[in-house]
Amino acid sequence: MILNLQHIDQQRIAAIDSNGATLKYAEITQLSQHITYLVPQRALCFLLVENNIGGIAWTMGMLSSRQLVPLILNVKTEEALLQQLLDTYQPTYICAPASFQKEGILVDQQFGYQLTKVSEGICPLHEELSHLLPTSGSTGSPKLVRHKYDNIEAAGLNISTFFELKETDRPLMVLPLYYTMGLSMVFSHLRVGATILITGLSMTDPNFWKFLKEQRATSFTGVPYSFQILNLMRFFRMDLPHLELLTQGGGKMPTDLNIKFAEYCRDNGKRWIATYGQSECTARMAYLPAKWALDKVGSIGIAVPNGELSLIDTDGNPITTPHTEGEMCYCGKNVTMGYARQQSDLALGDERNGFIRTGDLAYFDEDGCYYIVGRMGRFLKLFGMRVGLDECEQIVQTDCGIECACVGTDEKMIVYITNADKQNEVKDTLVQKTHIVATSFQIRVINEIPKNEAGKKLYSKLSIN
Amino acid sequence: MTNLEKYNAIFTEVFGATADQLGDNFSKETVSEWDSVHQLNIISLLEETFDLMLDPEDIMACTNYNAGKEILTKNGIEL
Repeated sequence: MILNLQHIDQQRIAAIDSNGATLKYAEITQLSQHITYLVPQRALCFLLVENNIGGIAWTMGMLSSRQLVPLILNVKTEEALLQQLLDTYQPTYICAPASFQKEGILVDQQFGYQLTKVSEGICPLHEELSHLLPTSGSTGSPKLVRHKYDNIEAAGLNISTFFELKETDRPLMVLPLYYTMGLSMVFSHLRVGATILITGLSMTDPNFWKFLKEQRATSFTGVPYSFQILNLMRFFRMDLPHLELLTQGGGKMPTDLNIKFAEYCRDNGKRWIATYGQSECTARMAYLPAKWALDKVGSIGIAVPNGELSLIDTDGNPITTPHTEGEMCYCGKNVTMGYARQQSDLALGDERNGFIRTGDLAYFDEDGCYYIVGRMGRFLKLFGMRVGLDECEQIVQTDCGIECACVGTDEKMIVYITNADKQNEVKDTLVQKTHIVATSFQIRVINEIPKNEAGKKLYSKLSIN
Repeated sequence: MTNLEKYNAIFTEVFGATADQLGDNFSKETVSEWDSVHQLNIISLLEETFDLMLDPEDIMACTNYNAGKEILTKNGIEL
């Protein structure tokens, strides 16, 4: 079994959801064996999940069976995007909550999800390929990240080690299962036999707070905006004696808010651990140990156990002196195999061999703690979700028929256009297509989009503030 | 700007909604984008625009256009 799940006491509860349903470790084992029995040959399956025990059961069942390779998606994925993914990758199966309409032969039905055979075709899948995740949840890119079984083992081991996870932990999971960090929470906690408290409830829903308190959550993991909500909900005045660990990932947290949470944890005997990661590396790659949470606020800290961070200069040479900026690289077993852009890519092997250039510009201090100063890649992380700038430019080009230049920070995307009449249309289009809150987009009108002689946009000439 | 105009402007800012879309039917149930991020943004803008500090109960209750108005009234803002 994956993550050595067979060594966990099978009668233990693996997950409880906010609908009141529970999942035993034994049920994951049984579902995994059942899939092996149902599915004669390794095949691709689109797994459309909600944050409930069925989502965890089917995800872990498929991974453990090694027979179904899931592309894990939000059940609410926009229809046009889902269709594009279906056309591109042509899965043999779809597994989704019973309420989700689909045509095909019903193969199995458990935990509120239906496994349906939708095609007779079987595409070649590399033997190491474990699962797929979209690179961007919002802009509709069909580019996927190819994970292997070893990535799951490595993420489970590394993350449970540095968070010091244990069997008695009851982590509250609000991050979506189809999001790399949510999935890594599942891997790392199941590995130690913990009980995941999973919910799809909004943090502004009274039932969310009821669930957290009644189930005595011992840890909470969120992206920066999750902590903004906690702050607004007067989290600091709540009495939560069981909550022992707060962890953050998914982009840089505003400094004042980071300090507020770090101070609260220090004063209340809790741990505050900020982390850094990417989908390309099965989530977590670095963490700031709790002892440095305040002294080094804003730092992403050091590499996770069994991983290694380094910097290279523009010529590709290693940087060994502190406070020198360069591109951050990562080496470890959680580095994924590569991307898929079309069905035939699913047969590809490991293209990275445990090493990746992150596309983030960083430096390290005397203690070896890393600080991110910018990004070389063309994407932002708005609300913890990666948003491709080039994809957004493409959306504006296609839907509004004008050229634009997208730049920005993890707080706001700035879209430069030259036609003042199109300001509202561009904003509406981006909001509609990405489902990201309108306040995240600022449309600015300029006379001309700066370009070099070859016609390439000069983003460095556009202000990001 | 009147308080109502300021209030409507918040929804325009958060959802890109036009004034004629706003009304009884503008809620978490009918607007697909309305999630906790959007709700948080509405709350932040209400607090900023009307110089308020809202309670968790108000934040949780702010799930439609009319509820937001009631929250303002409760906090002494006349619309």
